[in-house]
Amino acid sequence: MLEFLDSPRVLHGIYILGSLTLFFIGLYGLLAKRHLLKALIGIAVMELSVYLLFIALATSPGETAPILADGLIDFTGMADPIPQALTLTAIVIGMAVLALGVSLAIQYHRLTGNSDMRAMTELKDS
Amino acid sequence: MSQVPLRKRVRVKTLLLVLLCGWLLALFLTILLPHGLDGLSGTVGDALLERNAETASANAVTSVVVSYRGFDTLGEVTVLFLAATGVGMLFGGRRQEETGASVARRAAPNEMMVTGARLLFPVLLLLGVYIIAHGHLSPGGGFQGGVIIATAFFLRLLADPDFVLDHARVGLLESLSGSGFVLLGLLGLVLLSTGTFLGNFLPHPVEAMGRLVSAGVIPLIYVLVGVKVGAEVGAIFQDMLEQE
Amino acid sequence: MAFQLTPVWFIALPLLVAFAAPLWVRLGLLMSMLFATPLVLFGLAVSLFPAVGDAPLLETIVIAPPLGIHLHLDSASLLMVALFNLAGVLFASFLWLGDTEPHLRGRGPFVLILLLITGCTGLVLTGDLFNLYVFLEIAGVSAYALSALRRDKTALEAGLKYLIIGSVAAIFILLAIVLLYLETGQLNLAALARDFGDIPAAMQGLIGLLLLVGLGVKAELFPFNVWVPDIYRGSDPAVTSLFSGILVKAFLFVLFHLVFLLLADPAVARAWLMALGALTMLVAELVALRQQDMRRMLAYSSLGQVGLITLALGFASEATTAGALFHMVNHTLVKMLLFFVAALMLRRFLSLRLADLRGVGHAMPVATALFVLGSLAVLGLPPLSGFVSKLCILKGFAEAQAFWPIALILLAALIEAGYYFRWIKVFYDSDPAAPQCRSDDGPAYLPLVLIAGLLLLLGVAPFLIEDWFVQAARALLGRGTILESVLGVQS
Repeated sequence: MLEFLDSPRVLHGIYILGSLTLFFIGLYGLLAKRHLLKALIGIAVMELSVYLLFIALATSPGETAPILADGLIDFTGMADPIPQALTLTAIVIGMAVLALGVSLAIQYHRLTGNSDMRAMTELKDS
Repeated sequence: MSQVPLRKRVRVKTLLLVLLCGWLLALFLTILLPHGLDGLSGTVGDALLERNAETASANAVTSVVVSYRGFDTLGEVTVLFLAATGVGMLFGGRRQEETGASVARRAAPNEMMVTGARLLFPVLLLLGVYIIAHGHLSPGGGFQGGVIIATAFFLRLLADPDFVLDHARVGLLESLSGSGFVLLGLLGLVLLSTGTFLGNFLPHPVEAMGRLVSAGVIPLIYVLVGVKVGAEVGAIFQDMLEQE
Repeated sequence: MAFQLTPVWFIALPLLVAFAAPLWVRLGLLMSMLFATPLVLFGLAVSLFPAVGDAPLLETIVIAPPLGIHLHLDSASLLMVALFNLAGVLFASFLWLGDTEPHLRGRGPFVLILLLITGCTGLVLTGDLFNLYVFLEIAGVSAYALSALRRDKTALEAGLKYLIIGSVAAIFILLAIVLLYLETGQLNLAALARDFGDIPAAMQGLIGLLLLVGLGVKAELFPFNVWVPDIYRGSDPAVTSLFSGILVKAFLFVLFHLVFLLLADPAVARAWLMALGALTMLVAELVALRQQDMRRMLAYSSLGQVGLITLALGFASEATTAGALFHMVNHTLVKMLLFFVAALMLRRFLSLRLADLRGVGHAMPVATALFVLGSLAVLGLPPLSGFVSKLCILKGFAEAQAFWPIALILLAALIEAGYYFRWIKVFYDSDPAAPQCRSDDGPAYLPLVLIAGLLLLLGVAPFLIEDWFVQAARALLGRGTILESVLGVQS
């Protein structure tokens, strides 16, 4: 019943639509929300949508994971390993940045009692 | 929040933002939909997949992560190291005065929780070690396993009031595994047989593919990555926890 | 065993030193290692200059270029690497000799500073697009953490703002990288340059726009740089000298490296980039006129110089490019000098507002004299190197019969003179209330005097290294050479 999903065009189209929607939800959250943690979450959502786009578009329906196991004997008909490797790298980097950002936000809140982005005006001149 | 003009202004702004995001979305879609739909062919990844037997690692993603693009992985471990250093600096310094207070403030968790966490701890550690050690054979590897190990310690830290992580020892592990990674890379550079940074200088016969001891230097590097990720994520958890 | 001095040492050595930081803490060698590592790498860079002049050095990592990652060391990237490490040496000696604040001297700052320099080195060296993203994040994360180093309200605010803006820029760049891989299936810069022309035009535009926004934020170009003065105001002035001296230069280099490499004909982007540069320059100089805080003033002045460099690089002729590279070196030295002076003044006066610095020329004569020297170098007055580099750029424009950039650059210099002299005038105001203590901390001035000496030397005898800039410009613009050296004869 769902055979039409096996066509790469349909499947990739759905993924493009979904991940771009996520991307702009993240962007909207970043621009519209005033709370620091919400902005950081917006950034995380944008990042995740880019990973999703990458992994989904680089794999066609029917390809297996690029691992020799379960009786496979050679590396054919497998998904491209590079996007997966790059995404692994990018996820770890994203997590590191997010951890630093959340720590900064916690310290900032502890010091000033403030978690509103618009209230961060300490640095404006005169 | 009763002033109507303020709310009005916010609404108009939100509407404009939604319109902007929607317009950008439509723009991206019109460009991406016609051009991104057919799967990739003839990429670098396919070429690497064909040559993957050279690394004798059954998991092609691992051979890309650790060997072919090992330099990226070194950089990524460095980013994590920087973030851990940054978080440590942000939360450090005021530790001495506050640790006593925070322990006292935290109510003792109930017995079930403590015992359960203690029982789960070795299981989680074992799972982490398994995932790291089999990184070149099955899905998983240093990052995934390292995070699981860090989670095991995090669980203990949360549930068990008697459990403390020694900062100095975590720092030592961090720096040993990081230096080990770079040194393995440099060993690949100076040994004549490979001659490139991060080259696979240990013997890695293709016949051994699929066994635990195979793929030469790849599992070694992944173990170091696992230790480093575990130590760093654990340090980040601990720094955040101690400030409660 | 063979011990070779290959480009990978520029990355591997500082990483090793940074990872082994607990050892240096125990041995009490932290500051000397921070000083020695860039010094050794600077020596290595200088020793590699003759070899690179003949042909670019390619360092393969694990698997040969179109498939794997490689480091690409040509005259242009070597010049930047040498500059970054020289700046690292100067910065470390300032920290070491000066009696700097303790929060700049621990293990954390040691790691962050060293890896900031390494990240920038990697940015200019790497020949792989995703590796570039990784180095961008290394440089970025260390910069975010460094700007929050002081842990007070302003520093944390600066760090948060920097982190949010910086990671959004990084996401844009990542999206561009993903789209490039999905379209071409390549990650190597040279292979991407070969295949970029085959991508449909609309997609080319989207990728170009994403890269321009991302790198524009990172390189502090006009519509994307409103955050810069806030960061510079909130961080320590000493740390800011690294941002203005190293980080921005690395991102400018990357931006133009990508433009010259990906576009077969850089004239497509010329109008855009030159307009961006000119706007950045004029807007920044005008806003700098009415700044009340020295750090914000220096930040805007730094933006103005970035605009000037963008204008000259965007024109993409050999003469202006050589001049722009010269100006980059020059501006790094000058801004380090000025921010060091600001750091010394801040330590003494606890404020850098114009009103609080009245009469500082009598209290800190040496520092103020160095500030005057630095501002003259920014303005480009004859015996100093700023004159020579601006002259190179202007000559390049004149040769190509483009006269509007010349007019704009001269106008910007006039505005610059306006605000720098305003500050200098206040410094030498006689004010009876000014503190009269003359206990200038002597050794801290050593790196500052060294920079001043370098500025004079380059101004008096530019012919010492002028050839390198021409060669570097040729390497930066030589798309064919890069393609040929990486991919063989396919170009």
